[in-house]
Amino acid sequence: MTTQAKGTGPTTVERPAGFAILQIVLIPVIAALNYVTGVIINILKLPLFMDTWATMFGTIVAGVWVGAAGGFLYNIIMAFTLWGLPAWVWGFINIFIALITWVFWRIGWVTVKSPLKLVLAGIIVGVVNVVPVTLISWGVFGLMPTYAGTAWIYAAVLASTKDTLSASVISSIVAEIPDKLISLILAAVVASRMPARFTLRPPKA
Amino acid sequence: MSSTAFGILKSGYVARDTFVHRLDGRTKFLFFLWISIFNYLFYDLYVTIASFAVVMILAFVARIQRFVITVLLIIVLPIVLLGVGIIGGPFGFAHNRTAIAAVQLFGFTIGLYLEGTVYVSVWTSRLAVTITAALLAYVTTHPSDLAAIMLKSRLPYKFAYAFLATIQLIPILTNEISTIYQAQVSRGLNVQAGLIDRFKSIIVLMIPLTLGAINQTQIRAIALESRGFSAPVKKVMLRDPKLKFSDYVVMAIIVMMTGVFIYLIWTRGLVPFMVGIQYVRPGG
Repeated sequence: MTTQAKGTGPTTVERPAGFAILQIVLIPVIAALNYVTGVIINILKLPLFMDTWATMFGTIVAGVWVGAAGGFLYNIIMAFTLWGLPAWVWGFINIFIALITWVFWRIGWVTVKSPLKLVLAGIIVGVVNVVPVTLISWGVFGLMPTYAGTAWIYAAVLASTKDTLSASVISSIVAEIPDKLISLILAAVVASRMPARFTLRPPKA
Repeated sequence: MSSTAFGILKSGYVARDTFVHRLDGRTKFLFFLWISIFNYLFYDLYVTIASFAVVMILAFVARIQRFVITVLLIIVLPIVLLGVGIIGGPFGFAHNRTAIAAVQLFGFTIGLYLEGTVYVSVWTSRLAVTITAALLAYVTTHPSDLAAIMLKSRLPYKFAYAFLATIQLIPILTNEISTIYQAQVSRGLNVQAGLIDRFKSIIVLMIPLTLGAINQTQIRAIALESRGFSAPVKKVMLRDPKLKFSDYVVMAIIVMMTGVFIYLIWTRGLVPFMVGIQYVRPGG
């Protein structure tokens, strides 16, 4: 006869001991990875920003709030050091990216097993992200061209429409789609190579 | 952003014994917030140039002018050049009326316009002021003081940890990526290859870096727990920064200047000194 108490059963470790502290320790890692990616982009001379890929990666491996907090912290650090105070609002882009990545992860689109869905998700993230990017560009940079890679597009649209808003939106679309697409692919690939013991969330239902 | 800019964050605190260094971190961050907010309120080139002169003088006093000028050259100068070339130039910025300089080329007028140039100058000098003020606060405040200030400001200690850990992790991961890069180059990674191959190179650099960082996360979590990070006790800091007489003097100047700025806005609006230039809203 078993004397098992009510509610007890086989031990299942869905949340390892110190799960919460692991998530807190992961937040600065995500922020630093976003930052260090800039070094790699600089070495490889690539025409992208890629400073949200670690936010996406953090969301995939540890949950939406870890990704969002890491991404937001990255922007806070940059605002208090190299970019100046108004740039902290870019942190909302990282929160937005974490949320939208989480949605696509939940519906099973952020996986290297379905490349087409992954590419579609990346394109959608890029397109949708133009809205907050334009809002921030309006408030912080006065809708000026700030990125040399798309300045010629900005100039061409401004010359034809005489409207800085249209120029900013169109040059953002051109910059954001490849940036977010490649960032999401990188996040999915790196997450797929991660040993299961490093994943800080229960498996998706 | 170039490697020089990364070097600045990598080096972090610049140890000097100057008036700015001796100020409490709270005073410097208050100054940073204050000057940034007022610079974004006024649409006046004279106000932003005066603010820029003040922060640059403080940078020279703190002997961090080399850092500041390098960062401004890397971040602000490209925006100035792009902005003046496109918005101040002949690309159709709707408010351009007054030509500063113009030449006729193949029947087209190619000129530089006052309205567009002022618009770009105002926005970029706002950026220059806030970046310089941020560096003044960050580079001249010891990281331990930063942590103590955050706790004294009643921010959650977990946030203080995350902020400081990020600042510490950046140089560590930057060094690691250099090692990984050298190792991969010795295995045949070609960073001069075509665009597609360079995109592929990101993966071979990021996977070892990320897995290494995640592995260290587990070790760091154990180290933190063994030191009672989650213990339900009041956290204390080794350093205990206190406001000094000079801090109160700077705060008094900030309060006085706030009064002057409010008076200026009340009596002369958001463009108090720039005569003959219309206020241009972004996208307006």
